[in-house]
Amino acid sequence: MIQCKGVHKWFKDLHVLNDINLQVTKGEVLVVCGPSGSGKSTLIRTINKLEPINEGTIIVDGMDLADRKTDINKLRAEVGFVFQQFNLYPHLSVMNNITLAPRKIRKTPRREAEEQAMQLLARVGLAEKHAAYPSQLSGGQQQRVAIARALAMNPRIMLFDEPTSALDPEMIGEVLSVMQDLARSGMTMMVVTHEMGFAREVANRVIFMDAGTILEEAPPAQFFRTPQHDRARQFLNQLLTPMHGASTTAAA
Amino acid sequence: MLSYHFDWSIILSGTYFDWLVSGLKVTLWLSASGILLSFLLGLCVAVMRMSHIAPVRWVAQLFLEVTRNTPLLVQIFFWYFGSYKLLPTDLNDWLNNHNFEFVAALAALTIYTSAFIAEDIRSGVLSIPKEQLEAARSAGFSYLRSMQYIILPQAVRITIPPLVNQFLNLAKNSSLAMTIGVMELTYQARQVESYTFKGFEAFTAATVVYLALSVVITFLVDQYNNRVLKLHKAS
Ligand SMILES: Nc1ncnc2c1ncn2[C@@H]1O[C@H](COP(=O)(O)OP(=O)(O)OP(=O)(O)O)[C@@H](O)[C@H]1O
Ligand SMILES: [Mg+2]
Repeated sequence: MIQCKGVHKWFKDLHVLNDINLQVTKGEVLVVCGPSGSGKSTLIRTINKLEPINEGTIIVDGMDLADRKTDINKLRAEVGFVFQQFNLYPHLSVMNNITLAPRKIRKTPRREAEEQAMQLLARVGLAEKHAAYPSQLSGGQQQRVAIARALAMNPRIMLFDEPTSALDPEMIGEVLSVMQDLARSGMTMMVVTHEMGFAREVANRVIFMDAGTILEEAPPAQFFRTPQHDRARQFLNQLLTPMHGASTTAAA
Repeated sequence: MLSYHFDWSIILSGTYFDWLVSGLKVTLWLSASGILLSFLLGLCVAVMRMSHIAPVRWVAQLFLEVTRNTPLLVQIFFWYFGSYKLLPTDLNDWLNNHNFEFVAALAALTIYTSAFIAEDIRSGVLSIPKEQLEAARSAGFSYLRSMQYIILPQAVRITIPPLVNQFLNLAKNSSLAMTIGVMELTYQARQVESYTFKGFEAFTAATVVYLALSVVITFLVDQYNNRVLKLHKAS
């Protein structure tokens, strides 16, 4: 479903993505982790062309992002994106946040879109919040609405960029459990996260990035038990310090 | 001056009152349609000004420079005396039979005010976090649709105070339309004055009406704003 070949990207002189090769097949969950500034956000944002690349090929759901014939808006409609900061539309109610894209892009009739939104809200445990505005919700609730909003387009792929790192620890679990359900339902997912509990439970493979390159790629069990590189070992040790301990266990 | 006799009755009833009322109607029409059209044009120019297509941006910028840096009166004269040279004959004929002065004044007021509105809206858009555009784009909205549904509604909301100012300016500036013979409020007050020599009364009446008009516009926008804000609470 996602294929990156020889992807390079520079911000001015900074080589943010250095020869990235990866593949995510249908129904697979890929977790991307790595230290701050290693290029994780940049990488996941290239998958729906929020960031253009300088070199290489990215093919998503059979469409080549560099191909002029690829309708990028159509592709983005098939790929859900969940942001670290939720980015709900503050001027719209929860209901309208979810139904806007289906109604305007897919031309779904309002009633049908609203019925589907209610089902999605029930699925993320927020059915009673359909009339609320984003500013009236907690961070965890906003992020669950953001997931419902992405799902409303019936995407074939879901991308998550650190969906829980802006959340208070007690809210991380509710978001992770929604994502876990989603993975169980067979969704193809690429998730940038430091929630190692989630990675262990849900991921098919883990990618460890450092300074713009993929240093390691392995099934979670192997990655956590026997990391190959010092950088990865250091990174994992840091995550296990008490400061991060609370959040890494939240997925259990 | 001491021998001047105030006579309010003359403008508060009869023919001269009717003149002032008909003038007020024209002023209201001119202001209301000017506000609506300049707002829409201002939105378009603001979006063009921020386009990623350079020539579109240049066109908008040229428009802004020209309209903001020339006197409104000159623009009114331009549309009234100059524009028919550019328009096809059929359209000219039609316009001449349909209150051309009004159309020329409306065009000038709309275009002039839209430039200021566009700049206000643009600064509103610039204050919306860029993540909003990213969220919209990643949902599959085109740039223009993102603007339409997500960015502009938020930008306009925070731009309301300066917009009210532009609307008030437009209503007040509509009095310049008298120079090309639009029979609006100031024109009619002038008429009353020259027929009755009751200039103080006539222009006091006009002053009070303009004041009332400003109060009404401010009130209406406030009402709208409050309703919207109540709906969308905080943020
Ligand atoms: N728009 C930009 N312009 C210039 N440099 C950028 C831009 N975006 C990111 N960078 C730089 O690129 C590098 C990679 O950034 P990126 O956000 O992808 O890292 P990350 O792995 O997601 O980090 P974090 O864990 O902090 O989110 C960083 O050094 C960052 O400063
Ligand atoms: Mg990041």
